[in-house]
Amino acid sequence: MSVDAVPVLQVRDLRTYFNTLDGVVRAVDGVTFDVGRGETLGIVGESGCGKSVTALSILRLIPPETGRIVGGSIRFDGRELVGLDEAEMKSLRGHRISMIFQEPMTSLNPVLTVGTQIAENVVRHLGVSWRQGLDRAREMLELVRIADAARRLDEYPHQLSGGMRQRVMIAIALSCEPRVLIADEPTTALDVTIQAQILDLMLELKEKLGTAIVLITHDLGVIAETAERVVVMYAGRKVEEASVSSLFAQPMHPYTRGLMRAIPRLDIEADTAGRRPRLQEIPGLVPILTRPIPGCAFADRCGFATDRCRAERPPSVEVRPGHEVACWETARVAEAA
Amino acid sequence: MTAYIVRRLFATLPVMAVVAVFVFFLVRFAPGDPAAIIAGEDATADAIAAVRAKLGLDRPMLEQFVIWTLHLLQGDLGVSIFSDLPVSRLIEQRLEPTVALTFSTLFVAVALAIPIGVIAAWKARKLVDRLAMAFAVLGFAMPVFVLAYVLIWLFSVKWGVLPVQGYSPISQGLWPFLEKLILPSVALGVTYMALIARITRASMLEVLAQDYIRTANSKGLATDRVLLLHALKNAAVPIVTVIGIGIALLISGVVITETVFNIPGLGRLTVDAVLKRDYPIVQGLILVFAAGKVLVNLAIDISYAFLDPRIRY
Ligand SMILES: Nc1ncnc2c1ncn2[C@@H]1O[C@H](COP(=O)(O)OP(=O)(O)OP(=O)(O)O)[C@@H](O)[C@H]1O
Ligand code: SF4
Ligand SMILES: [Mg+2]
Repeated sequence: MSVDAVPVLQVRDLRTYFNTLDGVVRAVDGVTFDVGRGETLGIVGESGCGKSVTALSILRLIPPETGRIVGGSIRFDGRELVGLDEAEMKSLRGHRISMIFQEPMTSLNPVLTVGTQIAENVVRHLGVSWRQGLDRAREMLELVRIADAARRLDEYPHQLSGGMRQRVMIAIALSCEPRVLIADEPTTALDVTIQAQILDLMLELKEKLGTAIVLITHDLGVIAETAERVVVMYAGRKVEEASVSSLFAQPMHPYTRGLMRAIPRLDIEADTAGRRPRLQEIPGLVPILTRPIPGCAFADRCGFATDRCRAERPPSVEVRPGHEVACWETARVAEAA
Repeated sequence: MTAYIVRRLFATLPVMAVVAVFVFFLVRFAPGDPAAIIAGEDATADAIAAVRAKLGLDRPMLEQFVIWTLHLLQGDLGVSIFSDLPVSRLIEQRLEPTVALTFSTLFVAVALAIPIGVIAAWKARKLVDRLAMAFAVLGFAMPVFVLAYVLIWLFSVKWGVLPVQGYSPISQGLWPFLEKLILPSVALGVTYMALIARITRASMLEVLAQDYIRTANSKGLATDRVLLLHALKNAAVPIVTVIGIGIALLISGVVITETVFNIPGLGRLTVDAVLKRDYPIVQGLILVFAAGKVLVNLAIDISYAFLDPRIRY
């Protein structure tokens, strides 16, 4: 196997739990995936399915007061991150692996200038002078197409729009040319037009810098436009993984199928009030994560569920090359299509 | 920024004017006739009237007020009833010890409180945090004079490393000046330290839960940079506010400390003047204390603009 073929990130059976007053929340409960060099991997799933916790686990930023990675392995460039000492972890964060967060309005420090917030990352990891750090910051602002970059360096986040702040976050995250960029719903909080601009920008810079992207979203539309491969998560577990073309051509997991039916269809006429007909949502509720689920997490909402589904957890199996599904009834589901 | 400061400085004038009017009438309507007190217990009505005329207290109230105000604007606070010395000179003589004590106390309190509060927040709910907060509660509960006597007993009487009491002006050498300030500043600073440390912890805890702290950590920044720049700067506004409130408390604390440590400052002057009903001195002191508080308040307000760029000025 050549060096290039070794995935830059390998997540194996990751389990991250939180201790809460209601009990142990199994936020991530056995998730496995690889990210190839320069690849864009999408992670999709409903709110609360453990996408952000997966991302924070990779950076080892789970708040230690409540949460803990209780099992599994995360390898970056072949190096195990679970249990790696904090000093080494710090030298990877923002340098080799960086992250863009869900909330552009609150993710930047309100009392520090944009220039400081970019430059400190560069100075921290590349060991350059503060002056050079600021030069790099200006360069990065130009790269993310913020007009008048030199002046913006001295501005504070409250002087920027949401879209601009997310551009600044991208500038920070890419300032040391990381191998992996984890983008946790980078556009969810933004206007539709801005969303497209930000996604295009990320993809363009990814090509330029050779960075792999883990793009987290609950929007299959975003996945279709940007990702090469996709992991579908449900209740802290991976239920399906496939190339984007294979997933959209033939989704295999009943949950994925439900998600696809829930995509807003732009070709359906809006009514006079501007509302589109109600989306077909998946009936039922997401399971409570504090209760151990012995079988398939989707069983309560699944039309194909059997007694075995409720008793035994389905393993993830390859049904086509590169297409994995965790479901006991794959054959029946495929026929029903 | 300079224009803002000048503007704010002018804005304090009406406040000071109100204080001045208040001070004037407060004394005029206070119980007890100053003329009778000065004239002595066995004085005749004529003698009292003579004193009253000398003090100008027989003139119409409005006239008295105009004269008093005109003098005040020239920096003339009147003359002490008992010593016949100008009030402004009496206050000036006592100003240095009080200002020195206030600032050294402030220094001790802040220098202890901020690190304690930051570390407690950083290690929240761990042993260090509990110890720090127990220390803070103890400090807050401890009466100043008790701590003062304990400190004097330990450092002066038992070990003999620091002077028992007194004050040495800065003009007579830095070390003698500092040496005598250490015990009173610590005694007075501890209560105050406790207050600032608790606010620092609370404010830091809130800030440490914010998204931008997670962002700072996602950059792999050193812990001290995250705590002292990213978090503390955001947590600073409430801390500075409490420091300002504390200065007001400090002024009343100074009265006790100056008495215990035998420091000839404004606190002692206040006690003496009030006991003797030396009205001109009391008036002068109220004005000076009020001006001090107004200036501190102003300094705090201006510091907000430096700490938080979202505050418009
Ligand atoms: N600090 C925490 N303490 C306790 N529970 C947590 C904590 N962080 C996350 N969780 C729980 O973990 C589960 C997964 O949360 P996560 O934030 O990963 O969801 P998500 O997939 O990112 O959802 P969204 O689309 O809303 O961002 C949720 O049930 C959440 O309540
Ligand atoms: S394993 Fe059973 S319950 Fe789960 S998705 Fe497949 S059919 Fe449905
Ligand atoms: Mg999330």
